[in-house]
Amino acid sequence: MAEYRLDCLGEACPVPLIKTQKKMEQLKVGDTLIVEIDHSCAMKNVPEWARKVGYNVEIEEVDDGEWEIYIEKTK
Amino acid sequence: MNLINSPWYKRIFKDAWSYWTGAILLATLNTAMVAISGKGWGVTTTFAYWGAWILQLFGADVSGWNFFQLEANSKALGQSVFTNTGSVQNIGIIVGALLATLLASQFKIKKLKSYKQFIAAALGGLLMGYGARIAFGCNIGAFFSGIASMSVHGWVYAIFIFLGAWIGSKLLVRYFMT
Repeated sequence: MAEYRLDCLGEACPVPLIKTQKKMEQLKVGDTLIVEIDHSCAMKNVPEWARKVGYNVEIEEVDDGEWEIYIEKTK
Repeated sequence: MNLINSPWYKRIFKDAWSYWTGAILLATLNTAMVAISGKGWGVTTTFAYWGAWILQLFGADVSGWNFFQLEANSKALGQSVFTNTGSVQNIGIIVGALLATLLASQFKIKKLKSYKQFIAAALGGLLMGYGARIAFGCNIGAFFSGIASMSVHGWVYAIFIFLGAWIGSKLLVRYFMT
């Protein structure tokens, strides 16, 4: 049940999505990845992908134009 | 209830609109643009004018260039940012984007992450600018307005933009993402 952070601040599409996909491969089932982003279109495509794979996703707006996406590896 | 917290404010200004909403608005606005200005929406041809105006400021004569032999382009040489339709449109894009991000409280000045990111962005920008000129338009002028006006060149552009995006993302992953 470990928690990991992925710093994608300052990165534009498609970099946050590709980095998230790679990082999720390394996680064990039950682990959570927190992706830090400040690119509004990554706020759309990263959760979209994670939900399609079947992971639990939550988005939190932490500051103006800054978000944290919580992705739990469920399988 | 405070305006910022109203669900309608969130829906209109904060959340991303659906692709359908965007598509219908773009189609309507581009039709209006053709009706008013006589030309479909374009972005990058104007950049060539901006470049020419800057060169003219320094005394360079660009009127002999092949590009400025076309009547529409040679006319632009005597115009300014305020009298050239394309310039006003481009300024509208910048001001509109700023307004949208401010209304959504999402304005943020982003940091450069690494010199690699800088090189990738500069290289990408130069290639896109050059490509847009030799293709007679960018993804707005050649692709969006081209296909909407039933021109074959829009479809040819579509095939190659997908090829280019595919190669570009391979290069990005291989050389610029570590």
